[in-house]
Amino acid sequence: MMRLLATTICAALVLGSCTKDNQTSEFRVGLVTPGSIADAAWNSGAFAGLQQIRDSLGVAVSHVEARTPAEQEEALRTYAAQGYSLVFGHGFEFQGSAERVSQQFPATIFVVTSGERVARNVSPLIFRLHEASYLAGMVAGGMSRTGTIAFVGGIELPPIKLAEDAWVAGARRMNPAIVPRSTYLNTFDDVAAGREAALALLQAGADMFHHNADQAALGTFQAVKESPAAFIFGANLDQSSLAPERVLGSAVIDLPRAFLTVAREAKAGGFVPKVESFGLRSGVIRYDPNPALLATVPAPLQAAVSAARDSIIAADTGATAARPAQ
Amino acid sequence: MDLLETFLTAAVRVATPLLLAALGETIAERAGVINLGIEGAMLAGALGAALGATAGGPLLGVAAATAAGLCISLLFAVVAVRFRANQIITGTAVTLAAVGLTGAIYRDAYGAEGVGLSLPTLGILPVPGLSRIPVLGEALFAQSALTYAAYLLVACCWWLLYRTSWGLGLRAAGEAAEHARASGVAVARVRMIAVLIGGALAGLAGASLVLAQVGTFAEKMTAGRGFIAIAIVVLGGWHPVRVALAALFFGAAMALQFLFQSFLLGVPYQLFLMLPYLLTLLVLAGAWGRTRAPGDLGRS
Repeated sequence: MMRLLATTICAALVLGSCTKDNQTSEFRVGLVTPGSIADAAWNSGAFAGLQQIRDSLGVAVSHVEARTPAEQEEALRTYAAQGYSLVFGHGFEFQGSAERVSQQFPATIFVVTSGERVARNVSPLIFRLHEASYLAGMVAGGMSRTGTIAFVGGIELPPIKLAEDAWVAGARRMNPAIVPRSTYLNTFDDVAAGREAALALLQAGADMFHHNADQAALGTFQAVKESPAAFIFGANLDQSSLAPERVLGSAVIDLPRAFLTVAREAKAGGFVPKVESFGLRSGVIRYDPNPALLATVPAPLQAAVSAARDSIIAADTGATAARPAQ
Repeated sequence: MDLLETFLTAAVRVATPLLLAALGETIAERAGVINLGIEGAMLAGALGAALGATAGGPLLGVAAATAAGLCISLLFAVVAVRFRANQIITGTAVTLAAVGLTGAIYRDAYGAEGVGLSLPTLGILPVPGLSRIPVLGEALFAQSALTYAAYLLVACCWWLLYRTSWGLGLRAAGEAAEHARASGVAVARVRMIAVLIGGALAGLAGASLVLAQVGTFAEKMTAGRGFIAIAIVVLGGWHPVRVALAALFFGAAMALQFLFQSFLLGVPYQLFLMLPYLLTLLVLAGAWGRTRAPGDLGRS
């Protein structure tokens, strides 16, 4: 068994070094996602971004899915070894592996979506999705009849925790007595867990839901759809279509727009690794209300949300919200 | 519905796919075959259920799920039983293949970006009278038809294993294949059929996940339930009735973690997430030495 494994690794190394010799100067873009691109959220947005890069810039693109840290590092390394100019590691969890791989491949630009710091040729894209989750929380706080709101998280990664905290803060602003509840599933795949968690939260009296659990949240949407007076706010993509009568709005990251911005810069040359931080001000982060349900949101509440958005944008001086390298 | 009833109902609902898969695995393991491919068969069943329900409603979904589970386990049976390849490696390969295959078929059928399918589901079917029993009635008898099917299958499996001569031959094949062969049991054939029964039940488990629980399909949505079912078989000592109790116990632990997270504020949720596994360890430690695996389990 061990011998077989060793042989395989040697073969892979040999193959890897072969492809390294075949480097072309052609601009190619690779994307590594931590989950299925059929999640109607985080990963499908990245895939849409990759397709836009292909269509708008006319460059070759490629995508792989890698779940475990070992696979993720290997996937980044494989793209770099094949001479890809720009490689996206789609998620906070790619920061460490991108930094390690980047030492060997200085010619490749690694972009870590939702990353935390610049390191050589590694650039983080920071999405301040929590600014939009804050606005969603305001709507939820203003609309909740039971006074209890719920958040369903996948794994407690820092950006997800930030979104949860902002959602609660937004709700408290409209209703200081709001009771926030949350459940973490420890998975982004388990749809049934997403539903069971929502059913338990409904039992606890929650009537406003928000999530950041990608595919697992599909079960949360199902549970909300089945209960008469509950509403949900989507995350990452405009998810109104998942339950048109129950999604009040979505905290949206316009991933295609962000990806295209970076790829265009990289293709033009002279890309300097830097923190690219997107908030409401950039238009990449938005709170998109569901037009079909907009009439159910009282006008004063809508006005308060708009005012809050404007003040967040006004306060955004362009300074980055990135945390310093540790 | 009070909290206790909510909890018990959730426990039975969550336990149903685990129970179906574990029953199937019990049959296969009693025949001497450990099939790690049931995770894959369950996933194939889930996709089959989605495709079937889209095409012709929930009943067709159930049929398609069973057929899909059967197909996947046929692959395992041919390689591991007919050609006597290593069961652990074959099962793992079958599961990995099913993960890739279901993902590809799903994206092909419903589009790469995933639409968040909303499928017609099997509704709750309360049993008149029985569902009125205080406390337990709602939990046990206000479930979907697949839960009742699982109850019946527990009895069927028990009868098959302990009250038929075919079941005797099957247990002999699992305990001591050589002796069974010497006394005229067609070991390979019995094992093949046992694996197929297991696959069909795993497919049914996938159907219950999709059609009785979530009403949607997502890639890798079984999320390790097939492997949990294998642990349940061990926990239940390879006996259908005890396996059913073990599945309920697991379902309860899984349901409890979400109720605890929703109701007990301020306690680190990680404690609740490890609850099912912690409880299993405790129960296994307690049950150690009292049960024994079939003698020829895993020997090809």
